[in-house]
Amino acid sequence: KKDNGTKVLYLGHSLPQTHPVHKGILEFQKALEKKSNGTLSVKIFPDGQLGSEREVLELLQIGSVAATKVSAATLSNFVPEYHILGIPYLFRDKEHQFEVLEGKIGKSILEKGSKFWLRGLCYYDAGSRSFYTSNKAIRTPEDLKGLKIRVMNNQMAINMVNALGGSATPLSYGELYTAIQQGVVDGAENNPPSFVSSNHYEICKYYTIDQHSSIPDVLLIGTKYWESLTEQEQIWVQAAADESAQAEKIFWNESVEECMAISKKAGVEIIIPDKSLFAEKSKSVVEEFLKEFPEMAPIVNEIKNN
Amino acid sequence: MNKSEFIFNKVCLFLERFMIIVFGLLVLDVLFQVFSRYLLGTSFTWTEEFARFCLIWMTILGAAYLNGKREHLSMDFLYDKLNDQNKKKVSVLIEILIFLFALIVMVVGGLNLVYTTLHLEQLSGTLRIPLGYIYAILPFSGFLIMCFSIYHISNIYKNKINL
Amino acid sequence: MSIEVISIIVLFVSFFTLLLLKVPVAYSIGIATTLSLLLNIDKMPGLTTIAQRMTTGIDSFALLAIPFFILAGDIMKRGGIANRLINFAKSLVASLPGGLAYVNILASMLFGAISGSAVAAASAIGSIMTDRMEEEGYPRTLSASVNITASTTGLLIPPSNILIVYALASGGTASVAALFIAGYLPGILLGFAIMGYVAFIAISKGYSKGKRSTLREIWTYFRKAFFSLLLLVVVVGGIVAGIFTATEASVIAVLYAAVLSLIYGDMKTKDFPSVLLSSAKTTAVVMFLICTSMAMSWLFSFEGIPEMISSFLLESLNNKFAIFLAINLILLVVGTFMDMTPAVLIFTPIFLPVVTTLGMHPVHFGIVIVLNLCIGICTPPVGTLLFVGSGVAKISVTKVIRPLLPFLALMVAVLMLISFIPEISMALPNAFGL
Ligand code: NA
Ligand code: NA
Repeated sequence: KKDNGTKVLYLGHSLPQTHPVHKGILEFQKALEKKSNGTLSVKIFPDGQLGSEREVLELLQIGSVAATKVSAATLSNFVPEYHILGIPYLFRDKEHQFEVLEGKIGKSILEKGSKFWLRGLCYYDAGSRSFYTSNKAIRTPEDLKGLKIRVMNNQMAINMVNALGGSATPLSYGELYTAIQQGVVDGAENNPPSFVSSNHYEICKYYTIDQHSSIPDVLLIGTKYWESLTEQEQIWVQAAADESAQAEKIFWNESVEECMAISKKAGVEIIIPDKSLFAEKSKSVVEEFLKEFPEMAPIVNEIKNN
Repeated sequence: MNKSEFIFNKVCLFLERFMIIVFGLLVLDVLFQVFSRYLLGTSFTWTEEFARFCLIWMTILGAAYLNGKREHLSMDFLYDKLNDQNKKKVSVLIEILIFLFALIVMVVGGLNLVYTTLHLEQLSGTLRIPLGYIYAILPFSGFLIMCFSIYHISNIYKNKINL
Repeated sequence: MSIEVISIIVLFVSFFTLLLLKVPVAYSIGIATTLSLLLNIDKMPGLTTIAQRMTTGIDSFALLAIPFFILAGDIMKRGGIANRLINFAKSLVASLPGGLAYVNILASMLFGAISGSAVAAASAIGSIMTDRMEEEGYPRTLSASVNITASTTGLLIPPSNILIVYALASGGTASVAALFIAGYLPGILLGFAIMGYVAFIAISKGYSKGKRSTLREIWTYFRKAFFSLLLLVVVVGGIVAGIFTATEASVIAVLYAAVLSLIYGDMKTKDFPSVLLSSAKTTAVVMFLICTSMAMSWLFSFEGIPEMISSFLLESLNNKFAIFLAINLILLVVGTFMDMTPAVLIFTPIFLPVVTTLGMHPVHFGIVIVLNLCIGICTPPVGTLLFVGSGVAKISVTKVIRPLLPFLALMVAVLMLISFIPEISMALPNAFGL
């Protein structure tokens, strides 16, 4: 953030550099440097170099890091409205998802963060999360019965797996590979790029594409840093973010195709189940959620009716 | 035994009890995590988070306790070569540096961290407790360390500490 | 001079000055980090960031293995378990020169291999073995050196969390399965190298060549140690059977040791608070060092120091061997100042493309980088394993450094072998078609 003619924007995230979302962030860097004629530059710290998602969000609030990209799931502990995006089967399909996210509702959620000093810039596609298991195939929700499934340390994710009949097991991500290998848990859930980059495809025989949740990633800037920018610079930042969001969607689709091919080649059986069975069983999660956050019911309804 | 020594001993006793209790809870918590998952077939979502928070509290309060007992690791190859007069000066300097670190980073930085996370209402992932409460251990320990440093400096001047 | 260079100079100069002044190591790291960071960012965000890094640096479930194995070790020591184990092991190897040191090495390797954590191995074995070796005339510094370096083998022998971290950082070019298989031979090779050196010391100094035990004596010691030995079976078996994770295994060790000590009658329920306190103190020494060194490690990333060092060295070289050497050298230097996980995460993406262009396999490089950083965690100033090892041996870090040097040199020699002879790492994965 020092000046020698240019302002530097420090951006930390926790994904590896081969990840499609990182490529999206590189587009943001390129676009911003181009728009500002080099007066604004972006310094990217991938791989969690500056800390985990939660920690870097805090550094944005503290003011030592300018920007970050996190999952909306992590963000929901800071800005409660992001909980909504974790609701299982919230969106009918990808088209619906991005109509909502890039429309009025999505923008209003991004703005909610400003109250917590975390200004949302844009959403990145992070696909849909699906179950993968080491030995027992999941074809219907009934198959989940008794299976220990590792979930993120997040109440909505835990409720969902339990509602589907599985046994949600929050484990630290670092221990997950060995935990699956040794059978401490029977499986986990994630999107295809993470399934491959975590190498879990090596030890899991089944990948059930039930797409239970489509939680996007969010690019954020700390309001402290945002306010130190001129109005023109703010416009550049927002425009660069919007451009990168469009580019990232293409990277994402390419990566999903590539990762599914890698999984298949490694002998993983890809199961395409009847999603409506899973959607039906997970309805109780929404009810539970709205009991805790009744004020969010209008937004949820608006999304469903969009 | 004078009054400051009396208080010092009380504080150390409190810290010892606290560390024993937190460590005990930590052991029970992770045992519970294993047994609930394996025997009951259900996982409680809060056990991991609780364990991590216990570890933070035990470590940082333990650090303050070690300051009280002057048991932190240090390198003494140059110090050993000093005469008693210089050892005294250096010991006071060390306590001042520790005092300043505790004041500036642990108390001032720590309080700002607590303030920021409480003000911005950040909650932990599963226990849903404000993160600010977890961070509060840092300024609290920092304050204890500052008190210990003053206590040690006064003892150095009274020649009550084995240099 | 750029602000980055100035802040690096400030960091190192203040750090070493403080260390020499006998400021506690943890505070030396913290104060130097603060001075350097404040050159770069505003006061309040800077101070708050250090406060945050100190707390979040230890906010990790995997680190729980440290207090638990320290506690299990303390209970085993007080509860007569350790003595029974060591008596039995001694009856097997005591007639060899340096027999007890072999027990230490094998136990550290075994523990490290099982738990995937060098720190856990050092704390569990070190706390038991140091006293016993002292009784037999070994200097505490030697036992600590043996314990510290032998514990690193557990990071190469699977399961190993750090290899998983590397697989992630390699962007999927190295598979965890291949890395795990690849780690066996280098890990065992390192263990043998340490044993060889210990044999040399033991013969030249004439350490404890005990008399050979009869079979009947061995059987007696085995019976006495049976339930203590079962501890290892329970811990390993539980991990292998998928009942608990490697970190959770540490708390199972605590439970088992506690129950067994009560049954043996060497400990009563009322003894536990004092054991908990002494373990909590050891834990605080080690963990508080990790707190401030995590803050320093963050500062490194933030200032882009790793990239600076590597681009400076790599641009001036064009020979393959020179580059391999340079990379090893950079990692060795960095490893002295940085914790293992951030170093792997930062340097893998920088170096992996370079070495693969030069024909090195990503799996091979993974073993090289991990072994290299294993040396780093044994060296000051940021040396988690060194701190743990000397902490549990109850001796000052300074005193261990000199006896540790030849062991570190040995590790560097093994590192060179493994860097330049890919077959040591790649033979097994190739044989298994991974
Ligand atoms: Na291991
Ligand atoms: Na080191």
